[in-house]
Amino acid sequence: MRNIFRNALTGFVVLTLCFAGVLRAEAKQPAKMKASAIEVKMIPSDELTLPTEFQISLYENLVEQLQKKAVFTRVYRDGDKNAVSAADLITLECTVVKFKKGNETLRQVTTVAGATSMTLRCEFTDKNGKSLLVRDITGNVRFFGGSLKATYDFAKKAAKVADENFSSGTAGS
Amino acid sequence: MILRISTLVIAVALFFCGPLMRTAHGQQAQTETQAVQVIGLVGLKENTKGRLTVVNGTLRFAFSKGNIEVSAVSIEDVVTGKDSQRVIGGTVGTVASLAAPYGTGSALPLFRKKVDTLTIQYRDADGGLHGAIFTMPRGQADSIKKELVAQGAHTSVPIVADLMKSLRDAREEKR
Repeated sequence: MRNIFRNALTGFVVLTLCFAGVLRAEAKQPAKMKASAIEVKMIPSDELTLPTEFQISLYENLVEQLQKKAVFTRVYRDGDKNAVSAADLITLECTVVKFKKGNETLRQVTTVAGATSMTLRCEFTDKNGKSLLVRDITGNVRFFGGSLKATYDFAKKAAKVADENFSSGTAGS
Repeated sequence: MILRISTLVIAVALFFCGPLMRTAHGQQAQTETQAVQVIGLVGLKENTKGRLTVVNGTLRFAFSKGNIEVSAVSIEDVVTGKDSQRVIGGTVGTVASLAAPYGTGSALPLFRKKVDTLTIQYRDADGGLHGAIFTMPRGQADSIKKELVAQGAHTSVPIVADLMKSLRDAREEKR
Protein backbone atom coordinates (compact mmCIF):
# COMPACT_ATOMS: atom_id res chain seq x y z
CA MET A 1 0.00 0.00 0.00
CA ARG A 2 2.83 2.31 0.96
CA ASN A 3 4.71 1.44 -2.26
CA ILE A 4 1.71 2.25 -4.40
CA PHE A 5 1.35 5.61 -2.71
CA ARG A 6 5.05 6.36 -3.15
CA ASN A 7 4.98 5.42 -6.88
CA ALA A 8 1.89 7.52 -7.46
CA LEU A 9 3.50 10.48 -5.73
CA THR A 10 6.69 10.11 -7.77
CA GLY A 11 4.68 9.90 -10.99
CA PHE A 12 2.71 12.96 -10.03
CA VAL A 13 5.86 14.97 -9.28
CA VAL A 14 7.52 13.94 -12.56
CA LEU A 15 4.42 14.81 -14.57
CA THR A 16 4.09 18.17 -12.82
CA LEU A 17 7.74 18.99 -13.54
CA CYS A 18 7.35 18.07 -17.22
CA PHE A 19 4.19 20.13 -17.56
CA ALA A 20 5.78 23.10 -15.81
CA GLY A 21 8.79 22.86 -18.14
CA VAL A 22 6.58 22.93 -21.23
CA LEU A 23 4.59 25.87 -19.86
CA ARG A 24 7.77 27.78 -19.05
CA ALA A 25 9.21 27.19 -22.50
CA GLU A 26 5.99 28.41 -24.07
CA ALA A 27 5.92 31.48 -21.86
CA LYS A 28 9.53 32.28 -22.75
CA GLN A 29 8.95 32.30 -26.52
CA PRO A 30 7.70 35.67 -27.73
CA ALA A 31 4.98 35.72 -30.36
CA LYS A 32 6.56 35.56 -33.80
CA MET A 33 5.93 38.34 -36.27
CA LYS A 34 4.45 37.34 -39.60
CA ALA A 35 6.61 37.86 -42.65
CA SER A 36 6.66 35.67 -45.71
CA ALA A 37 9.45 37.39 -47.62
CA ILE A 38 12.65 39.23 -46.80
CA GLU A 39 14.86 41.51 -48.82
CA VAL A 40 18.50 41.52 -47.75
CA LYS A 41 20.24 44.83 -48.34
CA MET A 42 23.93 45.01 -49.19
CA ILE A 43 26.06 45.85 -46.18
CA PRO A 44 27.34 49.40 -46.64
CA SER A 45 31.11 49.41 -46.74
CA ASP A 46 33.25 52.16 -45.44
CA GLU A 47 36.61 51.34 -46.99
CA LEU A 48 38.43 52.08 -43.75
CA THR A 49 36.37 49.77 -41.61
CA LEU A 50 35.23 46.91 -43.80
CA PRO A 51 37.23 45.44 -46.69
CA THR A 52 35.25 44.57 -49.82
CA GLU A 53 35.81 40.80 -49.38
CA PHE A 54 34.15 40.95 -45.97
CA GLN A 55 31.29 43.06 -47.29
CA ILE A 56 30.54 40.55 -50.06
CA SER A 57 31.07 37.54 -47.85
CA LEU A 58 28.71 38.92 -45.19
CA TYR A 59 26.01 39.59 -47.76
CA GLU A 60 26.31 36.25 -49.55
CA ASN A 61 26.45 34.25 -46.33
CA LEU A 62 23.44 36.12 -44.99
CA VAL A 63 21.38 35.33 -48.09
CA GLU A 64 22.49 31.69 -47.99
CA GLN A 65 21.78 31.17 -44.30
CA LEU A 66 18.34 32.79 -44.53
CA GLN A 67 17.52 30.52 -47.47
CA LYS A 68 18.78 27.49 -45.53
CA LYS A 69 16.75 28.31 -42.40
CA ALA A 70 13.63 28.60 -44.57
CA VAL A 71 11.98 31.03 -42.17
CA PHE A 72 10.69 33.03 -45.11
CA THR A 73 9.04 31.71 -48.23
CA ARG A 74 11.21 33.98 -50.37
CA VAL A 75 14.58 35.61 -49.79
CA TYR A 76 15.17 38.50 -52.16
CA ARG A 77 18.49 40.07 -52.93
CA ASP A 78 19.12 43.81 -52.77
CA GLY A 79 17.38 45.52 -55.68
CA ASP A 80 15.32 42.53 -56.85
CA LYS A 81 12.34 43.93 -58.79
CA ASN A 82 10.08 41.06 -57.66
CA ALA A 83 10.38 42.11 -54.01
CA VAL A 84 8.08 45.09 -54.59
CA SER A 85 5.06 42.87 -55.21
CA ALA A 86 5.78 40.43 -52.36
CA ALA A 87 3.25 40.26 -49.55
CA ASP A 88 4.45 40.63 -45.93
CA LEU A 89 7.85 41.77 -47.09
CA ILE A 90 10.37 42.84 -44.52
CA THR A 91 13.80 44.33 -45.14
CA LEU A 92 17.02 43.46 -43.39
CA GLU A 93 19.68 46.13 -43.20
CA CYS A 94 22.95 45.53 -41.40
CA THR A 95 25.52 48.18 -40.58
CA VAL A 96 28.97 47.59 -39.18
CA VAL A 97 29.35 48.69 -35.58
CA LYS A 98 32.71 47.11 -34.85
CA PHE A 99 35.25 45.31 -36.99
CA LYS A 100 38.61 43.84 -36.09
CA LYS A 101 40.46 41.93 -38.75
CA GLY A 102 42.53 39.32 -36.98
CA ASN A 103 45.43 37.30 -38.24
CA GLU A 104 45.02 33.65 -39.21
CA THR A 105 48.69 32.80 -38.66
CA LEU A 106 48.76 34.41 -35.24
CA ARG A 107 45.49 32.71 -34.39
CA GLN A 108 46.80 29.26 -35.17
CA VAL A 109 50.26 29.65 -33.74
CA THR A 110 49.30 31.27 -30.45
CA THR A 111 45.68 30.04 -30.13
CA VAL A 112 44.90 33.05 -27.93
CA ALA A 113 45.55 36.05 -30.18
CA GLY A 114 44.58 37.09 -33.69
CA ALA A 115 40.83 36.53 -33.53
CA THR A 116 38.69 38.20 -36.20
CA SER A 117 35.60 39.80 -34.77
CA MET A 118 32.78 41.92 -36.12
CA THR A 119 29.59 43.32 -34.72
CA LEU A 120 26.77 44.42 -36.99
CA ARG A 121 23.56 46.18 -36.12
CA CYS A 122 20.77 44.32 -37.88
CA GLU A 123 17.50 46.13 -38.37
CA PHE A 124 14.38 44.42 -39.66
CA THR A 125 11.87 46.89 -41.08
CA ASP A 126 8.46 46.50 -42.67
CA LYS A 127 7.35 47.84 -46.07
CA ASN A 128 6.62 51.28 -44.61
CA GLY A 129 10.06 51.52 -43.09
CA LYS A 130 8.83 50.91 -39.56
CA SER A 131 11.46 49.22 -37.44
CA LEU A 132 10.34 45.78 -36.24
CA LEU A 133 13.46 44.48 -34.58
CA VAL A 134 16.99 45.74 -33.96
CA ARG A 135 19.76 43.46 -32.75
CA ASP A 136 23.53 43.73 -32.49
CA ILE A 137 24.98 40.46 -33.71
CA THR A 138 28.62 39.43 -33.40
CA GLY A 139 30.50 37.05 -35.62
CA ASN A 140 33.99 35.84 -34.89
CA VAL A 141 36.59 33.22 -35.65
CA ARG A 142 38.93 32.35 -32.83
CA PHE A 143 40.98 29.30 -33.68
CA PHE A 144 40.71 27.52 -37.01
CA GLY A 145 39.78 28.97 -40.36
CA GLY A 146 40.34 32.07 -42.41
CA SER A 147 39.13 35.46 -41.31
CA LEU A 148 36.16 35.27 -43.69
CA LYS A 149 34.74 32.49 -41.49
CA ALA A 150 33.64 35.21 -39.08
CA THR A 151 31.13 36.32 -41.71
CA TYR A 152 29.67 32.80 -41.77
CA ASP A 153 29.40 32.82 -37.99
CA PHE A 154 27.61 36.17 -38.11
CA ALA A 155 25.21 35.01 -40.84
CA LYS A 156 24.27 31.88 -38.90
CA LYS A 157 23.47 33.92 -35.82
CA ALA A 158 21.48 36.47 -37.83
CA ALA A 159 19.42 33.71 -39.44
CA LYS A 160 18.76 32.27 -35.97
CA VAL A 161 17.53 35.66 -34.76
CA ALA A 162 15.21 35.81 -37.78
CA ASP A 163 13.98 32.30 -37.02
CA GLU A 164 13.24 33.19 -33.40
CA ASN A 165 11.29 36.33 -34.24
CA PHE A 166 9.59 35.81 -37.58
CA SER A 167 7.38 33.25 -39.15
CA SER A 168 5.98 33.01 -42.65
CA GLY A 169 2.82 31.49 -41.22
CA THR A 170 3.03 28.43 -43.45
CA ALA A 171 3.47 24.88 -42.23
CA GLY A 172 7.01 23.67 -42.07
CA SER A 173 8.62 27.04 -41.43
CA MET B 1 39.16 53.55 -114.70
CA ILE B 2 36.88 54.54 -111.81
CA LEU B 3 36.45 50.86 -110.98
CA ARG B 4 40.21 50.40 -110.85
CA ILE B 5 40.64 53.37 -108.52
CA SER B 6 37.94 52.19 -106.15
CA THR B 7 39.46 48.68 -106.13
CA LEU B 8 42.82 50.23 -105.34
CA VAL B 9 41.29 52.32 -102.52
CA ILE B 10 39.63 49.24 -101.03
CA ALA B 11 42.86 47.27 -101.29
CA VAL B 12 44.84 50.02 -99.58
CA ALA B 13 42.16 50.34 -96.90
CA LEU B 14 42.20 46.59 -96.30
CA PHE B 15 45.98 46.60 -96.16
CA PHE B 16 45.97 49.19 -93.40
CA CYS B 17 42.93 47.88 -91.56
CA GLY B 18 44.07 44.26 -91.59
CA PRO B 19 46.52 44.55 -88.69
CA LEU B 20 43.97 46.60 -86.74
CA MET B 21 41.37 43.89 -87.18
CA ARG B 22 43.86 41.30 -86.07
CA THR B 23 44.59 43.37 -82.95
CA ALA B 24 40.88 43.69 -82.18
CA HIS B 25 40.48 39.95 -82.63
CA GLY B 26 43.52 39.42 -80.41
CA GLN B 27 41.75 41.25 -77.60
CA GLN B 28 39.07 38.54 -77.61
CA ALA B 29 41.64 35.88 -76.78
CA GLN B 30 42.12 36.79 -73.15
CA THR B 31 44.43 35.70 -70.39
CA GLU B 32 43.32 32.64 -68.52
CA THR B 33 44.21 32.03 -64.93
CA GLN B 34 43.67 29.40 -62.31
CA ALA B 35 41.28 30.63 -59.64
CA VAL B 36 39.29 29.56 -56.63
CA GLN B 37 35.74 30.77 -56.27
CA VAL B 38 35.60 31.51 -52.56
CA ILE B 39 31.91 32.44 -52.42
CA GLY B 40 29.12 33.99 -54.44
CA LEU B 41 28.53 32.30 -57.80
CA VAL B 42 25.02 30.87 -57.88
CA GLY B 43 24.87 27.08 -57.72
CA LEU B 44 28.53 26.67 -56.96
CA LYS B 45 30.04 25.32 -53.76
CA GLU B 46 32.43 27.44 -51.75
CA ASN B 47 36.12 27.13 -52.61
CA THR B 48 35.52 25.58 -56.03
CA LYS B 49 38.64 25.46 -58.15
CA GLY B 50 38.55 26.40 -61.80
CA ARG B 51 39.83 28.71 -64.51
CA LEU B 52 38.89 32.34 -64.92
CA THR B 53 38.82 34.15 -68.26
CA VAL B 54 37.33 37.25 -69.77
CA VAL B 55 35.90 36.31 -73.16
CA ASN B 56 33.55 38.21 -75.45
CA GLY B 57 32.37 40.60 -72.79
CA THR B 58 31.83 37.99 -70.08
CA LEU B 59 33.73 36.80 -67.06
CA ARG B 60 33.81 33.03 -67.40
CA PHE B 61 34.56 30.64 -64.54
CA ALA B 62 35.16 27.16 -65.90
CA PHE B 63 35.15 24.33 -63.35
CA SER B 64 35.08 20.56 -63.53
CA LYS B 65 31.30 20.35 -64.03
CA GLY B 66 30.70 23.31 -66.35
CA ASN B 67 30.93 27.06 -66.81
CA ILE B 68 29.39 30.06 -65.14
CA GLU B 69 29.37 33.35 -67.01
CA VAL B 70 28.79 36.85 -65.76
CA SER B 71 28.33 39.63 -68.29
CA ALA B 72 30.95 42.36 -67.86
CA VAL B 73 28.31 45.04 -68.40
CA SER B 74 26.33 43.75 -65.41
CA ILE B 75 29.33 44.13 -63.11
CA GLU B 76 28.83 47.21 -60.94
CA ASP B 77 32.11 46.99 -59.12
CA VAL B 78 35.32 45.05 -59.53
CA VAL B 79 38.00 45.36 -56.88
CA THR B 80 41.33 43.61 -56.46
CA GLY B 81 43.21 42.89 -53.26
CA LYS B 82 46.13 41.03 -51.81
CA ASP B 83 45.95 38.21 -49.32
CA SER B 84 47.81 35.14 -48.23
CA GLN B 85 46.71 31.60 -47.66
CA ARG B 86 48.08 28.51 -46.00
CA VAL B 87 50.15 26.25 -48.22
CA ILE B 88 48.82 23.23 -46.36
CA GLY B 89 45.25 24.24 -45.74
CA GLY B 90 41.84 22.67 -45.26
CA THR B 91 41.23 19.52 -43.27
CA VAL B 92 44.68 18.11 -44.00
CA GLY B 93 46.35 21.24 -42.63
CA THR B 94 44.17 21.28 -39.55
CA VAL B 95 44.69 17.60 -38.75
CA ALA B 96 48.42 17.85 -39.44
CA SER B 97 48.83 20.85 -37.18
CA LEU B 98 46.95 19.06 -34.40
CA ALA B 99 48.62 15.70 -34.80
CA ALA B 100 52.22 16.81 -35.23
CA PRO B 101 54.32 15.83 -32.18
CA TYR B 102 55.63 18.22 -29.53
CA GLY B 103 53.50 21.09 -30.81
CA THR B 104 55.47 21.34 -34.04
CA GLY B 105 52.17 21.59 -35.90
CA SER B 106 51.92 25.19 -34.78
CA ALA B 107 54.63 26.04 -37.29
CA LEU B 108 52.56 24.80 -40.25
CA PRO B 109 50.43 27.95 -40.61
CA LEU B 110 53.64 29.92 -41.03
CA PHE B 111 54.04 28.43 -44.50
CA ARG B 112 51.87 30.71 -46.55
CA LYS B 113 51.68 31.79 -50.16
CA LYS B 114 50.59 35.17 -51.38
CA VAL B 115 47.49 35.38 -53.53
CA ASP B 116 45.46 38.01 -55.32
CA THR B 117 41.78 38.46 -54.63
CA LEU B 118 39.21 39.64 -57.13
CA THR B 119 35.84 40.77 -55.83
CA ILE B 120 32.90 41.55 -58.10
CA GLN B 121 29.40 42.88 -57.53
CA TYR B 122 26.89 42.27 -60.29
CA ARG B 123 23.14 42.32 -60.94
CA ASP B 124 21.06 39.41 -62.24
CA ALA B 125 18.21 39.71 -64.74
CA ASP B 126 15.76 40.69 -61.94
CA GLY B 127 18.06 43.38 -60.66
CA GLY B 128 19.15 41.35 -57.61
CA LEU B 129 22.61 42.15 -56.35
CA HIS B 130 25.20 39.38 -56.21
CA GLY B 131 28.75 39.33 -55.01
CA ALA B 132 31.57 36.91 -55.74
CA ILE B 133 35.09 36.51 -54.44
CA PHE B 134 37.92 34.76 -56.29
CA THR B 135 41.49 34.09 -55.29
CA MET B 136 44.22 33.53 -57.87
CA PRO B 137 47.99 33.44 -58.20
CA ARG B 138 49.73 36.69 -57.48
CA GLY B 139 49.80 39.27 -60.28
CA GLN B 140 46.75 37.94 -62.14
CA ALA B 141 43.89 39.92 -60.62
CA ASP B 142 44.93 43.28 -62.03
CA SER B 143 44.97 42.02 -65.63
CA ILE B 144 41.56 40.35 -65.22
CA LYS B 145 40.21 43.59 -63.78
CA LYS B 146 41.72 45.61 -66.63
CA GLU B 147 40.07 43.34 -69.19
CA LEU B 148 36.72 43.47 -67.41
CA VAL B 149 36.78 47.27 -67.27
CA ALA B 150 37.75 47.40 -70.97
CA GLN B 151 34.70 45.30 -71.75
CA GLY B 152 32.20 47.38 -69.84
CA ALA B 153 32.54 46.56 -66.14
CA HIS B 154 32.53 49.37 -63.60
CA THR B 155 34.95 49.87 -60.76
CA SER B 156 35.05 52.06 -57.69
CA VAL B 157 38.85 51.90 -57.57
CA PRO B 158 40.47 53.18 -60.77
CA ILE B 159 43.09 50.95 -62.38
CA VAL B 160 45.72 53.69 -62.03
CA ALA B 161 45.19 53.65 -58.26
CA ASP B 162 45.63 49.87 -58.31
CA LEU B 163 48.89 50.20 -60.21
CA MET B 164 50.20 52.78 -57.77
CA LYS B 165 49.26 50.50 -54.87
CA SER B 166 51.02 47.52 -56.48
CA LEU B 167 54.15 49.59 -57.01
CA ARG B 168 54.05 50.77 -53.41
CA ASP B 169 53.61 47.18 -52.18
CA ALA B 170 56.52 45.99 -54.33
CA ARG B 171 58.72 48.79 -52.99
CA GLU B 172 57.81 47.98 -49.41
CA GLU B 173 58.57 44.31 -49.99
CA LYS B 174 62.05 45.18 -51.35
CA ARG B 175 62.84 47.03 -48.12
